[in-house]
Amino acid sequence: MFNFLLQGIFTGLIFSLVALGYTLVYGVLRLINFAHSEVLMTGGFAGYFFLHYTIGIHAVPSTLGATIFYVVIGVIISGAGGSLAALLIERFAYRPLRRRNAPKLAYLISAIGASYFLLNLFGKEFGRYPVATSQPFNNHVVATIWGGQITMYDLVILIATLALLFSLDRIVYRSKMGRAIRAVASDMETASLMGVNVNRTIASTFALGGFMGGAAGFFLAINQGISNNMGFKPALFAFTAAVLGGIGNVRGAMVGGVILGIVMFTPIYWLGQPWLEEVIAFSVLVLILLVRPTGILGERLGRTA
Amino acid sequence: MSVEAIAPKKRNLSFNGDDVRRMCTAIAGGLVLAIMTGPDGAISDPTYGVKTSLLTGHVVGYLVIGVVIGCLLTYRAKVRDGSWRRVRTTPKRTLIERATSFSAIGRGVLLAVTAVAVAIITLIFADFSGPVAANKMSIHEIVHQFLYTRTYGYLILALALWFVVVNQAMRSIPRPLFLLGAVITILLFALTSDPFLPARFSWRALNPGVDNSLFHHWTTYLWLIIGLAVAVSWMIKGDATRAPRPPRRSHALVVTPSMRFLTYVLAGFVVFEAPKFMSLYWQISLYQQIGVFCLLAIGLNIVVGFAGLLDLGYVAFYALGAYVTAYFSGALPLHPPFQLNPFFIIPFAIVFAMLSGVLLGLPTLRLRGDYLAIVTLGFGEIVYVLANDWTQVTAGSAGTGAITNFSVHLFGINYAWDPVNPLSYYYLLLGILIPAIFLFDLLNHSKVGRTWAAIREDEVAAQSLGINALKYKVMAFAMGASTAGVAGVFTAVKVGHLFPNTFILQLSISILVLVIFGGMGSIVGVLFGAIVLQWLPSYLNFHSYFGFQEADLYLYIGALLIVMMIFRPQGLVPSRRRRREILDSEEGLGSADSLGPITAEQPS
Repeated sequence: MFNFLLQGIFTGLIFSLVALGYTLVYGVLRLINFAHSEVLMTGGFAGYFFLHYTIGIHAVPSTLGATIFYVVIGVIISGAGGSLAALLIERFAYRPLRRRNAPKLAYLISAIGASYFLLNLFGKEFGRYPVATSQPFNNHVVATIWGGQITMYDLVILIATLALLFSLDRIVYRSKMGRAIRAVASDMETASLMGVNVNRTIASTFALGGFMGGAAGFFLAINQGISNNMGFKPALFAFTAAVLGGIGNVRGAMVGGVILGIVMFTPIYWLGQPWLEEVIAFSVLVLILLVRPTGILGERLGRTA
Repeated sequence: MSVEAIAPKKRNLSFNGDDVRRMCTAIAGGLVLAIMTGPDGAISDPTYGVKTSLLTGHVVGYLVIGVVIGCLLTYRAKVRDGSWRRVRTTPKRTLIERATSFSAIGRGVLLAVTAVAVAIITLIFADFSGPVAANKMSIHEIVHQFLYTRTYGYLILALALWFVVVNQAMRSIPRPLFLLGAVITILLFALTSDPFLPARFSWRALNPGVDNSLFHHWTTYLWLIIGLAVAVSWMIKGDATRAPRPPRRSHALVVTPSMRFLTYVLAGFVVFEAPKFMSLYWQISLYQQIGVFCLLAIGLNIVVGFAGLLDLGYVAFYALGAYVTAYFSGALPLHPPFQLNPFFIIPFAIVFAMLSGVLLGLPTLRLRGDYLAIVTLGFGEIVYVLANDWTQVTAGSAGTGAITNFSVHLFGINYAWDPVNPLSYYYLLLGILIPAIFLFDLLNHSKVGRTWAAIREDEVAAQSLGINALKYKVMAFAMGASTAGVAGVFTAVKVGHLFPNTFILQLSISILVLVIFGGMGSIVGVLFGAIVLQWLPSYLNFHSYFGFQEADLYLYIGALLIVMMIFRPQGLVPSRRRRREILDSEEGLGSADSLGPITAEQPS
């Protein structure tokens, strides 16, 4: 059982990373970014190509230094890929509509269009089947706690995700860019009157969320390989996590991801059917909307700061 | 118009950054199109796809398209913002004026040329929609096709249409003669192009027990009678009472009631008659790809077009209807208390889909409209997962058992629908589809429809007038869901065995694009979108044109959604009200959907 709990926590950390993308964009634009799953996928592909061309197919680096190097550079490259995808989505699916002040329905539809476009473009260019990624480390069991095994992969996720979450928290709450993001989230018009470049701030929000999503894509790619629809389900779970923590709330997304991971995976120990985790996640989403639609930590990026 | 405005003005040929940006976008769009239509790549050679689509001759045509579109866009923008003014010294002439200004010989030549062109186009159309796909270019095939697919039916119809257009334009033929011609054409078309000609004039045609001819023939008589009645009434009325119309100056089409009625008659004629002349491939495609999706699209139109909500898991309700059918046919591992004829399953499917719609909509729509989108996305995925993995109940990916077929045992008529003959299902589907179209149109013009419009345009104001917005939103959502449920029954019965892969989540997006492309909120537009967009892939696939691959369908759909939202959010055949709403909301007046305000404070 503890094994499932641990799996829930580590998967939940990845959900947190993805949920941040949803929450940041929602905080600023009040829109669910339906194309975020493709940000994840782009990050995964970037990570795949990096590992494929540096490590190769069968070799696994053995030293700790090499592992750290590959993971750090891989996360950065995947994150950059995710940022690039998010920026492109913002530029082509959102900005033309924002310039015209289009109704909200139009944003959602063009975002879902962008999502399907990217999904199938990658499918066309790189094949529509899953491919295993080269491993940057030997995935052996590091420690055993109460029968729950912590592998190298879990350890890497734990350290890297906590570092990413911590630095994002610093960026949003302490840096000048973060202040601009929070200002735009709180009141777009006033912020622009105060001299904040709204367009650039929105782009940087997408880039920031995209970096986190791309990094999550890197970890998913290492674990289960890449395919063009690798992003869909994690993104759906991550959205649930964002709502659970309170959409628009950065810290809420971090907490929500881990809680959702635990809630999703632990019951599988008793139920025994892995596909039920999706049903559980979906039930959680509907339940939160019924019981506490503002989530655990409440909404609003601008407010809660 | 003042003198200044029409005075010739020197063209200003300078380009600015906007023009460069527009041109670059158009060319980049052409390149993207080249990649989209190019060959597939593979992960082992990641640059292969791009290389072979951009570095070979493949790219040239798309580059030309990009450049041409860029030039057109630049021209339009320049003319619109007034830096290039079109110089016009003579007043605008209408098409009719231009057509009648030729000399007698010129007119004759024009007539002949257009007639030949129409005939050739018709031949090609009839030929390519015929049953023998391969090797179209051999004359032997074309002749065979001509005889085999009754091409002359198409030919007569097209020539008649051309005749109508030309004669209305030239006003050279007296009306009675013209009407006589029309009636003869209809008669000829009905008779000569009928594949069951010998059977038509026997009483066997009216006996449903013998063969399927009941569904093939009675409609022909109906249309003949209607056409004759219209023609006779028109002839009796004459045009003596009508005052001479002033010459029209604009190109705008003025729709008179009689034109509207004629359009209905013509559309009905085509809908009932045309399928009989199609090959089996197209008959199946007409039922399964077009008919069922028309039903789905007008159902989704209630949610997206009328209520202004977004439903991304619409296919879930479709699947629900299909699996309810399978359940009551005893085709699932879970056995029903009683088995039913599919006709009696339809109400069950409606109730199940509606209930699940209400259960899903109530908690979600209480909040914000955009939550509905992702909750339905999740629901669509869950239904797929249940259908695929819950083997104790849904039989999983192995597929269900055989589903009972439609049959009638009433007043001595015993008729069972034959899976080999798609037309019998098609006419049955029309029996649901046409009432549904009129019902939804009525609904849109009733109090409910006005309430939806009020909620779309300003939800807060609507609520302040005592409208229960939640109730009407849930209602729209549930009605859309139940329509999908009915479509599910029709699919399940025709297919016979259900497989979860029929109900992948992507299908919801392809239904959404039907609504968006045609014009959300406009039933005619949605039907147009459904027919065009569902026909096109079948056509391209059938003839493997342009290297079209079915797997790339969603690539095009995604691109189409973005392009529509950026350039024409109201759709190709927009509803007037919806179009105005979108334009108004872009000006900052009200909203065009009920997803909640985009920047205002959220209620806590």
